[in-house]
Amino acid sequence: MTATSVTDPVIEELAQICGTDHVFAGKSARFNRARVPAPFPVHRWADHVPDVVVLPTSAEQVSEVVRLANRYRIPVVPRAGGTGLTDGAVPLRHGILVDVKLMNKILEIDLEDRAVTVQPGINMLKLNEELRPNGVIYPDDPASYPCSLVGGRIGTSGWSLIGGRYGHTRDLVISFQIVLPTGELIRVGDGGGRKVRKSSSGYQLKHLFMGHQGTLGIVTEATLELVPRPEAEFAAFFSYEDYETAWRSTGALARSGLATLAGVVLFDEWKLAYLRRDDEAYIPQPDSVRCVVATAMYGTTDEVRPAAKRLLRIAQESGGSYLGDEISQGDWASRHDRYATPLHGRLRTGQVVPMSWHCEDASINWSALPQVREEWHEIVRRLVDRHPIFDDWGMFAYTNGAFKPWGDYLTEIDVGIWEQELDDETWAAWVEAKRDIAAVALKYGGSISACHGSCREGEVDLVPQEMGGGFEVMKKIKRALDPNNIMNPGKYLLDQAYEGGDST
Amino acid sequence: MSSTERSDNVAHGRGGGSVANDQVAAEFVEQWRNAAYNCYSSGHKFCREVCPVMQVTRDEVHTPTAFHANVVAMEQGHLSIEDVARDYVHCTQCGACELRCPNTLFTGDFYRFRTRTVQLVRAMRALAVDSGIHQPNWQRWVEETVRQKSEPVLGEVPVSQENVRNWADGLDIPIGGETLLFCDCEGAFYRTSVPRAAARILQQAGVEFGLMREQWCCGGPAAEMGYRDRAREFAEHNVNDWRAVGARRIIVFDPHDYISFTEDYPGYFGDEYDFEIVLLVDLLAELIRDGRLVLSQPVDRIVTYHDACRLNKRKGIHETPREVLRAIPGLTFKDVDHVTQWSYCSGAGAGLGIERPDLTAEISRRRVERAAGLGVDTLVSACVWSERPLSEQGGKRDQPVEVMDLLELVAQAAGLDGSEVAR
Repeated sequence: MTATSVTDPVIEELAQICGTDHVFAGKSARFNRARVPAPFPVHRWADHVPDVVVLPTSAEQVSEVVRLANRYRIPVVPRAGGTGLTDGAVPLRHGILVDVKLMNKILEIDLEDRAVTVQPGINMLKLNEELRPNGVIYPDDPASYPCSLVGGRIGTSGWSLIGGRYGHTRDLVISFQIVLPTGELIRVGDGGGRKVRKSSSGYQLKHLFMGHQGTLGIVTEATLELVPRPEAEFAAFFSYEDYETAWRSTGALARSGLATLAGVVLFDEWKLAYLRRDDEAYIPQPDSVRCVVATAMYGTTDEVRPAAKRLLRIAQESGGSYLGDEISQGDWASRHDRYATPLHGRLRTGQVVPMSWHCEDASINWSALPQVREEWHEIVRRLVDRHPIFDDWGMFAYTNGAFKPWGDYLTEIDVGIWEQELDDETWAAWVEAKRDIAAVALKYGGSISACHGSCREGEVDLVPQEMGGGFEVMKKIKRALDPNNIMNPGKYLLDQAYEGGDST
Repeated sequence: MSSTERSDNVAHGRGGGSVANDQVAAEFVEQWRNAAYNCYSSGHKFCREVCPVMQVTRDEVHTPTAFHANVVAMEQGHLSIEDVARDYVHCTQCGACELRCPNTLFTGDFYRFRTRTVQLVRAMRALAVDSGIHQPNWQRWVEETVRQKSEPVLGEVPVSQENVRNWADGLDIPIGGETLLFCDCEGAFYRTSVPRAAARILQQAGVEFGLMREQWCCGGPAAEMGYRDRAREFAEHNVNDWRAVGARRIIVFDPHDYISFTEDYPGYFGDEYDFEIVLLVDLLAELIRDGRLVLSQPVDRIVTYHDACRLNKRKGIHETPREVLRAIPGLTFKDVDHVTQWSYCSGAGAGLGIERPDLTAEISRRRVERAAGLGVDTLVSACVWSERPLSEQGGKRDQPVEVMDLLELVAQAAGLDGSEVAR
């Protein structure tokens, strides 16, 4: 049983481990580490506040903190950038919040074996500022590129916008060091070598600790892939007069086999309507444009130039019209900032109100995209009918495979939420809608989440269904590695792993 | 005591200030709640990695996101001004977060919208002062400034009204006139070579100007630290002095003064405030372009330029300083673009160096290190306040990096020798 029991002696011990300057029990330090950008029940803020915050500076300190937490049975929640769109970093049971932002050093740049070793608190943009002069980059490129941190990328098993070319976080992290829930410090990878990309030795433990949402430990160091800084970028946007044509064209582009193709993004009709209505940064399109497909290629000039010609031909033969250089270059550059959408949404009356953006993400196979899209919009329509504080902001589908971008798609529906107006009733309605959205993903053979994680209220209820017998294995692993259920307790229904199904 | 009721902060260990005025706090929250929600609702934190303070402390309560979220927490009754006042010390008001904010980036072009985090920090600091919560070093600084009429900068010249024009000894600058040169406190009492260079360059270019009869601090630091009433007293004195001598045009070389005179003073005086405020570096670029100022003496240095935050990030002024530098013969100029420099700072702004000199020193050290990485011997700044902490760090290096003001460099290039400029 874990319970909140952070007392003054515990805080004193934490101060001995991390140093007095790196232990915070003040209210603002705790309230500001209770939330992430995922929709947050503002009216229940106090339920999610940690009891004490520590900013360790070494793996050894993290290990000591976790050992202490085990001794006292205190929940521990790791936090990196706090930019996730699921609530992995939100403390559900209070306890000790381990904020890794001070662990942000580059430990080694190895240009010969092409690997950089870093601490988990470093941001990719900052890392690439240091790498670029060496002609290499670390190509993990989420929408949160300017703000998410390496530790969180591992904790959520992140998705990269250019993963079709370079792979996603799980492909780009070669190995990492993690403090287990009992305090032991281990390294996991493909086999044992710190910079080995492929091994047949032992279990493939790297994947086990990818996307664990803080339930299996705290990452303290990671060795990452370096790739040559691309010489050439080619971005192209195409327009379509109907969804069916755009969807078929998306499939044709993704299946093209062009090795430099980094990603294909399909905007549906709702998304176009929303961008026209409210996104001041979006370059206006004629009314006949109902859907848009965006593509991007990276590589050497010798590769990208001929591949771009082929790409343009495929798009045109499948019904797309090139939208011109301005949107292609400008809007692709701002794809990163699609994480940001306008700071407002609208009520049905047209009244503008401050809304937060939330995106529900799932992995959906190409063949199921049209049906999923219809059913998801219907779920949100019903939600908005009942509660006008929500607003349908349309859907994107992004190619989801690593190195070969066909097959399945990170499929997201964006929903505006007027958080100032959230109360128990509207929050419950939101949670129900999320559960319904996840159920549709599973009905069509998909996965609840492509990149955020599926441990939020609502959708998490369906994780046992998605994982099937694998969920039993998850519980056994959790219990074996975390006998006292101290690591981020309450997430992923993993309390069921302990006696009576409720460890609290 | 249950841990969720804990209100002490182990790291800072400070006791609370006076009890907040509930009415004042409520009005504050009402004024800022929607702006705060615009940040809170998105919560992306793009601001974090560009913030000079955050780059050092890595403490989430120093993020601009937290500065907004606190307003929401205050509205919800979770936090009070006592809980957060100290957090707001950790800001140089450089404005980087505003530029990097997705809400600015995505609606700025269309609506001219800009997230106003600097204004929020100032307002929260003012709320703290109005609620009786003082940061001890700021309080002392403002009290001393009120007493001496100039900031208590530690220099060779004792700060007082008798000495406020000492920097101009021997330069034959008249008092009064249509155009005045305003000399900020750091220049007047510490780095006097900067105002002397400014004055000599203007004289050489044939620009007529005078000095104030009685120059007080611009009031900007007090405003930045939350002492609004004090700031206003300084402003009223200065504007009265300008009016008394018939001034129409005020030349400033210090970016902080430029902010005070173009943003704060118009707010105090409204339409009655009809002075033309001229930034000296803009004027220099114009004088050079028009051939009225000739830079003919080669300056054999390898330099990079430090974009002053209040020029680059607050005012969008980054071209004229580069134009002036490029006009200096002999100079090797290794530039770093102004957008990259959004995340650079000296750490000297908005009183950070007074309450947290350790942070200012570290921010400056990192800035100088970046300059050194370019292989330069000189870091050129256009902000006199940045030059003391930057110089301290530049001098500590095995391969020292000298910090010079742009005006000092221009004076050299204009053939104004050291004895005329330096005192």
